[in-house]
Amino acid sequence: MKKHLKIMACYFRLNLASALEYRSSFLTQAFGMALSNSSFIFFWWIAFSQLGGRIAGYSFEDVLFIWATTSAAFGLGTILFANASRLTTLIVTGELDAFLLQPCNVLVNVLCARTNLSAYGDLAYGFILMGLAFGGNADAWLWFLVGTAAGCLVYTAITLTAHTLSFYLGDASLIGQLATEFSINFSIYPEKIYGPAVRALMYSVLPMGLAIHIPLRLSREFSPLIALAALAGTVLYCVLAGLFFYRGLRRYESGNVMVTRL
Amino acid sequence: MCIPEFFIIRQPERMFKAMTAIETKNLTKTYRTRVKAEGLAASFRSLFKPVWREVGAVNGISLTVEQGEMVAFIGPNGAGKSTFIKMLCGILYPTGGSLSVLGLSPVKERRKLAMRIGTVFGQKSQLWLHLPAVDSFTLLGAIYEIDDRERRRRVAELSELFELGDFLHTPVRKLSLGQRIRCEVAASLLHDPELLFLDEPTIGLDVVVKQALRELIIRRNRERGTTVFLTSHDPADIEQLCKRAVVIDRGDVVLDSPVERLKSDYLGKKLVEVKFASPQTVPEMAGVTVLTKEGGLTAALTVDTARRPIGEVLERLSLTGSVLDITVSNPPMEDIIAAIFQKKPEADQ
Repeated sequence: MKKHLKIMACYFRLNLASALEYRSSFLTQAFGMALSNSSFIFFWWIAFSQLGGRIAGYSFEDVLFIWATTSAAFGLGTILFANASRLTTLIVTGELDAFLLQPCNVLVNVLCARTNLSAYGDLAYGFILMGLAFGGNADAWLWFLVGTAAGCLVYTAITLTAHTLSFYLGDASLIGQLATEFSINFSIYPEKIYGPAVRALMYSVLPMGLAIHIPLRLSREFSPLIALAALAGTVLYCVLAGLFFYRGLRRYESGNVMVTRL
Repeated sequence: MCIPEFFIIRQPERMFKAMTAIETKNLTKTYRTRVKAEGLAASFRSLFKPVWREVGAVNGISLTVEQGEMVAFIGPNGAGKSTFIKMLCGILYPTGGSLSVLGLSPVKERRKLAMRIGTVFGQKSQLWLHLPAVDSFTLLGAIYEIDDRERRRRVAELSELFELGDFLHTPVRKLSLGQRIRCEVAASLLHDPELLFLDEPTIGLDVVVKQALRELIIRRNRERGTTVFLTSHDPADIEQLCKRAVVIDRGDVVLDSPVERLKSDYLGKKLVEVKFASPQTVPEMAGVTVLTKEGGLTAALTVDTARRPIGEVLERLSLTGSVLDITVSNPPMEDIIAAIFQKKPEADQ
């Protein structure tokens, strides 16, 4: 465990150092992402100004909370585990070889080996939005941080699961992309705008509801039972995603494409 | 150059106890591939009614390599070399047979094994392109559980041995291929592996760098008893590095012989390409076959060095008085393997 935390810290430092090699690109992408996210909040502000009150049971403040949590969770997930969304490429081109040759947990090694520059903008945006919307509200901040951590893990596990299908299907990049888009859509809109079937998906196959909407609910009214169930669901989903990956790894066929690490 | 301390300290059990480094019995690997006829219609048919075919990449290879040996593992493209090595490293799961590397099962003990082997795959880099090699060494130190002080010491020593000092702190993307490969080999040795898998380590390097790299590998084997398992398409790598050569084709071992024998039987031929200032006829010499037409501005010859020393041939050519340029090279590995196949039935008898 200690060894893998050290490896993760080392990867984080190296990825950041690598990103900073291209300072202007890093700043442009991070700032651009934060700006792009802001435009969505602007539309929500207009919607609430026009319609007033609540939309599907959510106030404007609630929307700001789920937006901030989703943005920070997605940002943290892609800063720390950006390779989850590149897993299909790694499988198809045989890039997993380099990770399998090293004496550490393959999953940790693979997931942490890459970062995404724009994700720093997402993470920063989540915190800035929380600061602007909730100021010093400790309760809101606590559930925001819990949601960010859980969302980071659940989002990564969803992406990992979708791309692990590449071991079986050959190329699951489209499924991976769809899983990401659905996960984000399930996170940034009030859950009641979706029908029961989709809501069931939000708490099972693509369980972003556990990480984003449950913390919001808990911030309004704390329930130890719901908190425990959400925690158990998150852990179970992550463990199953890991087991699914290792099962698929047995089918890995490698490849001989020329590869460099960026 | 003085030899750094790190490379002088020897592990007695590694140096003196003859152990088996690699042992495989009837090792096989088959892939299931989809067969599809040409055209769009066939693509649609294949979508609903796929036809699968089993392809044997490695077909029951049994091989033993002792610790400290330097073995060349050669064969044409698609022979199954990479698949075999990847099974030995724990990257691929075998379909059948058994294998043991340094007494460990690559399937069940991949992490333990990875701690004791080093790999250089010419096509795959383990260095960060945008960062200096020294940063990649820091990460490898964490992965191989080398404490910071020890890592710094080893990096300093490898840097001295491989003469990396000038470019250790330069981003890898700015290095020449030769410099990058030296860094790659140094990275693969950072954890002091007992067994080194080298897959085309000299590919794309110039003659001087190739030679320097070969010398380093030989030195490593001599001083640390490191077992080397090498694949290369460069006959000079095999001649200079290895004492034993295993040739495979279509997933089967077709020859397992001392390199000395391979050299006398197949590597003794050199290719000579010569360019003349005016049309010349190459003089007839025993052991020399002229491959191009007589009376031209250029000529290509093969020289059987067992029958005619290469120096003598060059001397005779220079006597024509109009030589502009001469290139001497080894025959391509594909030709050597073709020669092995042609000669095999006779050798088997």
